[in-house]
Amino acid sequence: MTNNNLNKLLVFCVLFCAQKTSIVHGAQALETKVALLLHAEPENPKCFAEGMSDLTCFWEEDEERAGSADQYSFIYTYQNENSSECSVTALPAAGGKRLYFCRLSQTQLFVPLDIRVFRDELLIHNRSLFIELVFLLDPPANLTLTSTGTQGQLKASWLPPSLKYMGDSMMYEVSYTMAGSHIGKVEEVQASSELILRGLQSGTKYKVRIRVKLDGISYSGYWSTWTDPVLMETMPGDLDPLIVSLSLIISLVLTLLSLLVLMSHRRFLLKKIWPIIPTPESKFQGLFKVYVFASLEYETRYEEWLGHSTGGLWLRPAYFYSEEFPAPLEVLSEVSLGPALPSSALPPKASEALGEEDEDEKLKRVDSALMEGWRETPQEHWPMDQLRAIHQHPAPWTQSSLLESHDAYVTLNAQNHSGEEPLDDILEETLPLQVLFASGRTSSESRSDLGSFQQSSGLGRLSSQSSFEYPNHTWPPKGPGYTYMAVADSGVSMDYSPMSSSKIDDIGKGVIYTNEYKNEIPAHRRPIGTPIHFAF
Amino acid sequence: MFHNSSRGLFTLLLMLLEWTRPGLPSPLRPICDLRVLKHFIEEARDAQAAMLTCKEGCGLPEPVTVPQTKVDFSIWERKNALEQAQEVQSGLWLLNQAIGSLRASVTNTALQSHIDNSLINIFRIGKVLRSLNIQECNPPAGGVSGGEETWRVSSASELLQVHVNFLRGKLQLLLSNAPICH
Repeated sequence: MTNNNLNKLLVFCVLFCAQKTSIVHGAQALETKVALLLHAEPENPKCFAEGMSDLTCFWEEDEERAGSADQYSFIYTYQNENSSECSVTALPAAGGKRLYFCRLSQTQLFVPLDIRVFRDELLIHNRSLFIELVFLLDPPANLTLTSTGTQGQLKASWLPPSLKYMGDSMMYEVSYTMAGSHIGKVEEVQASSELILRGLQSGTKYKVRIRVKLDGISYSGYWSTWTDPVLMETMPGDLDPLIVSLSLIISLVLTLLSLLVLMSHRRFLLKKIWPIIPTPESKFQGLFKVYVFASLEYETRYEEWLGHSTGGLWLRPAYFYSEEFPAPLEVLSEVSLGPALPSSALPPKASEALGEEDEDEKLKRVDSALMEGWRETPQEHWPMDQLRAIHQHPAPWTQSSLLESHDAYVTLNAQNHSGEEPLDDILEETLPLQVLFASGRTSSESRSDLGSFQQSSGLGRLSSQSSFEYPNHTWPPKGPGYTYMAVADSGVSMDYSPMSSSKIDDIGKGVIYTNEYKNEIPAHRRPIGTPIHFAF
Repeated sequence: MFHNSSRGLFTLLLMLLEWTRPGLPSPLRPICDLRVLKHFIEEARDAQAAMLTCKEGCGLPEPVTVPQTKVDFSIWERKNALEQAQEVQSGLWLLNQAIGSLRASVTNTALQSHIDNSLINIFRIGKVLRSLNIQECNPPAGGVSGGEETWRVSSASELLQVHVNFLRGKLQLLLSNAPICH
């Protein structure tokens, strides 16, 4: 029994609390609406309908002039009907005001209603209205935001006010702003319970709220209060295809422009990146085309040297040039002969032919008779012609390769035919020319960029670079023999072929001394037989 | 000659038959779009506004019977569809009569066009109701009907206001709740 009573008490309490909550909530809603209407409606009494069968009217009075509620009478009359009265209630309001309310619970729509308010028999307010035109609805409930799956869109959905017959007449206003911003947009929608907001920024939080009003055809009224705002972030933005395509186009245009600039300035850029190795050719006109060793100058220099080292002659017994005349060196000018022939076995042949030479180094002597034949002639044909004229013997060079245009023939002339002169212990710098050749000896050890060659490979090189095409042309030696050396000038380096004699049979008699030409002065004396460096 | 005359007779016969062919009314498509009603209501409002500005030549010669426009939802909902339909149809008929008599007495040309519009709209409303399978009611015998649902007006402005209120109220309720539209 006690338990039962307790249970009942508990239930009663819960219900009371719930009702109190709803009353409180209702009071709050009423307060909001009153405030709204005080703003929106100029006429008195201010009336609004919340549902299909109710009407709430109120008016405001200053506290000092206000009377009690029973001083007021609220009389309402429908068209073609008798008047009725509504009981007035008073409520205190903010700002020293008092509100007087009257609420009707059964109403007729679509018919004019006359309202008269009396205070102590004095008419204070008079108004005629249609109840269906003064609706003030509660804001929509359950406003939710969802993503539509598309960029920059949000779907707002809500629950319409539950009024029968009026669903088609409801008009909604959706307000959405970016969170933190005060500037927002508004969209209206009619007779619907959802709206898709478009044109939103990606990855941004939006604040959305909604209010409702009747459309004014059959029913009308005031805008409801805004719902509490609902926040939602839009989908993060993908690359806008427009932006992507624009960036691609811009990068393409920039690439094309840079290519155009590069192409127009390619020479300048090539010079900067790949600088041309400077040649002193411009400074020395004609030097690299024609080698001219003035025999006179050669003699002069040689004698100068002799003069310097007079005292040391006794130290060098082998150095016995008294019998030797300096061999003037004359150089044929630039030869441009026909296309190159494949390299020949000439140098090996020559090396074979000269294989018998001994190890001693001897001064080279050249037939001086050759001097006369060499004069300045047109560059291109002079060597050829001269050679043809001079050399009658069939050349062992028949299979030799062709001399290139920049190659020069270096020949040595000796005024006296010289025999073999052993040259022992000759200092490098004293000998302009020395024997290089030694059979079986390879001089692969030294190379230089200028004027050097190797016995085996260098010969081959020379043969390919400086070759003679004399299938029909011979090297008619004149006199005892003619020794010649081919020089190939590539503009950067000069390659010298080993000196060979046109008279092979003379080789046994005389040794051809060849020299390795280098643009350096060696630091130490080399043993005999090794290539000697000769510095010009 | 006989051949010619028989041919002409035959053609005449066909024409006559075609003309007098008993035709069944073709079923109308239901008009559920309430924008149609909105249009009617707006035109009725225009007529009412025009009537307010009219000073002369715009009065009713005698009081006319008009339907009641008030709607008490609690009472309305208790009525069934048929009763509601009947109420609306009889009211439209009354209005048609009343506005017709106003048309005869109005001399203001601007007002006349509005009244003509109103009459045409009432006719169109009848078509809309027919499309929604809402039965037409036969006018009560004697032409003039009394009853709870009617009252008498003596001014043209009142008449037109009734017209507007009736369209906004009962007709709109009936159309918005037509079973064929849901």
